[in-house]
Amino acid sequence: MTTHTAPAERLRHPPELEAEPFGDSALMLRVKNDDADFRRAAGSRLRDVLLEVRPYGVLDIVAGVESLLVEFDCLAVTHEQLAQTIRLAVAGNALEPGAASASQSLFVIPMVASEEFSPDLPGVAEELGLSPEAVLRKFQSSVLTINLLAAAMAPMMGGVQFPGQVSRCVEPRTNVEPGSVMVAGTNAIIQPFPGPSGWKVIGRTPLTICDIREDPATSYKPGDSVRFEVVPEREWARLEGQFLRASDGGASLSAGASPKAGSEGANSDLP
Amino acid sequence: MTFPERAIGIKVSEAGWLSTFQDLGRENSEFMGVPCGGAADQHSAAAANILVGNSRKATCLEIMGGRFAFTATHDVMCAVTGVPAEVTVNGDPVAMWEPLCIPAGARVVIAKASGGMRNYLAFSGELETARFMGSAAPESRMGFPQQLAPGQILTLHSRYRGFTHPFLTQPLFQLPVPVPDFSPDVWTIDVVEGPETDRTPGIRKLLSSSNYTVGAKSNHVGLRLDGPVVHPEGLGEIVSHGVPIGAFEIPHGDELIILGRSRTLTAGYPIVAVAAKASLSMLGQASPGRKMTFRWISNVQAVEQYREQQRLLAHLEGRVHALFAAVGLPVSTSSAAAPSQSPAAA
Repeated sequence: MTTHTAPAERLRHPPELEAEPFGDSALMLRVKNDDADFRRAAGSRLRDVLLEVRPYGVLDIVAGVESLLVEFDCLAVTHEQLAQTIRLAVAGNALEPGAASASQSLFVIPMVASEEFSPDLPGVAEELGLSPEAVLRKFQSSVLTINLLAAAMAPMMGGVQFPGQVSRCVEPRTNVEPGSVMVAGTNAIIQPFPGPSGWKVIGRTPLTICDIREDPATSYKPGDSVRFEVVPEREWARLEGQFLRASDGGASLSAGASPKAGSEGANSDLP
Repeated sequence: MTFPERAIGIKVSEAGWLSTFQDLGRENSEFMGVPCGGAADQHSAAAANILVGNSRKATCLEIMGGRFAFTATHDVMCAVTGVPAEVTVNGDPVAMWEPLCIPAGARVVIAKASGGMRNYLAFSGELETARFMGSAAPESRMGFPQQLAPGQILTLHSRYRGFTHPFLTQPLFQLPVPVPDFSPDVWTIDVVEGPETDRTPGIRKLLSSSNYTVGAKSNHVGLRLDGPVVHPEGLGEIVSHGVPIGAFEIPHGDELIILGRSRTLTAGYPIVAVAAKASLSMLGQASPGRKMTFRWISNVQAVEQYREQQRLLAHLEGRVHALFAAVGLPVSTSSAAAPSQSPAAA
């Protein structure tokens, strides 16, 4: 069951949105486009627009890789009403690439690569046809974008400059240590808390990336940029347990490296 | 008459198998990757708070199994809701789903819960607790267990000063309380169609004509059900997307999973049905061994059911407020959630 798109040709050519009921109190939104990169980028801007506009009845939003699940109060609006409001909000806030979004920060995250911390590095290297050192060089030279916060506020990042896709583990691990830096496809993620994962582990950061005693519990948010920096294992003890903050905010290695303006107070929009 | 708030100590002498601080869950947290969590049986948790004149969103206690016992340093008013259990005050049985006026030092015991998982205990006033993203609800994966230990002393800030009446020591209130019926041997849970229902031939008939049994590995993340399943046909890989509470997932094995409030927020499994919102509280009470079957309804019917459930709670709330005002019992002035507080305050 799909609700119909209103004729909108005159409204700055907004991308076509598919809105599908997911139960009585949720709507699944997908941007229709043949290009997966476009769908991802438009989906992330759609999330920003919805968080900004806060359509009446919306309770929360769950970001998927190429979609948004909008949870709403079914006593306040129907699926059809909400879909219409969202289409109007999109029409008034273009989702075209380059549209303005919230201010962004850069995070430079130290990681240690070792036999213990990088169990999947040899396998990833083999899959990509590179040496392990070359995999780490490619990884470090990539400027990643946080696309969404996954389970337990894990930053899911896109934009790893690998020459190919990294597959997932055939047998997912039942427990991966916090701080583990993992890759799949051309995405990366950091494990904030112990838990299962099927992603390939290529390193570990000594920093604490999420701490519920901090407010907010993470310094990063969707849209922020991340660069990894492989550091020698002897650095581990010095950095261990430090709370990750933006590179212009203190704890990380290369201070003042943010190429983006407006990162002052970048986290003020977090709850 | 209104009294100023005072701090009351509540000593938990027995904490059951697993008891925690609880509330209706986090708001605006899922876009940050944190599931809303909160009371699995939202109806019972809300009713417990309403029955003592609190905001529905106030902090209460969730008690799972075993024996829970407390004594308070001063008079307190409380209510116990959830599945049928034995509740006693100094050994005398008292009713659930009613405001209870407990004298200082009296021993209150909640035990022998049957037919489901959870009891909720609310006190008139505000329980002191840490919060994470504005909520007292546990988020154990992220290091916020909120579990109560035997011997722990809770602090309650309350304006309640005991209830006196010329003839009665307990208020015999006639309140219109919507008590769920946990007694059927097989629960019937209402479901609406999911995104992959039509791609799964036979699933409609199967879910509505078979009995399913809740498995032992079930928890607040999801109920794992034993029973017949069919797999969708002709589906490629599903790109990982957000999943609603109550989603019926069929992973690769022959298992049916109904997602709970602390679910992992994204998944790539087919969703063959979604529990109606008004049925989620019942699902939140299902314990291992519970038998259930399903009934398909339309989204319109599902919304009507939820509207009726909420209307009954609002009706109860109105009656409690009028009654408490008339007899001088405290009523929470704000229906909003308590201000958020850093968990470091614990």
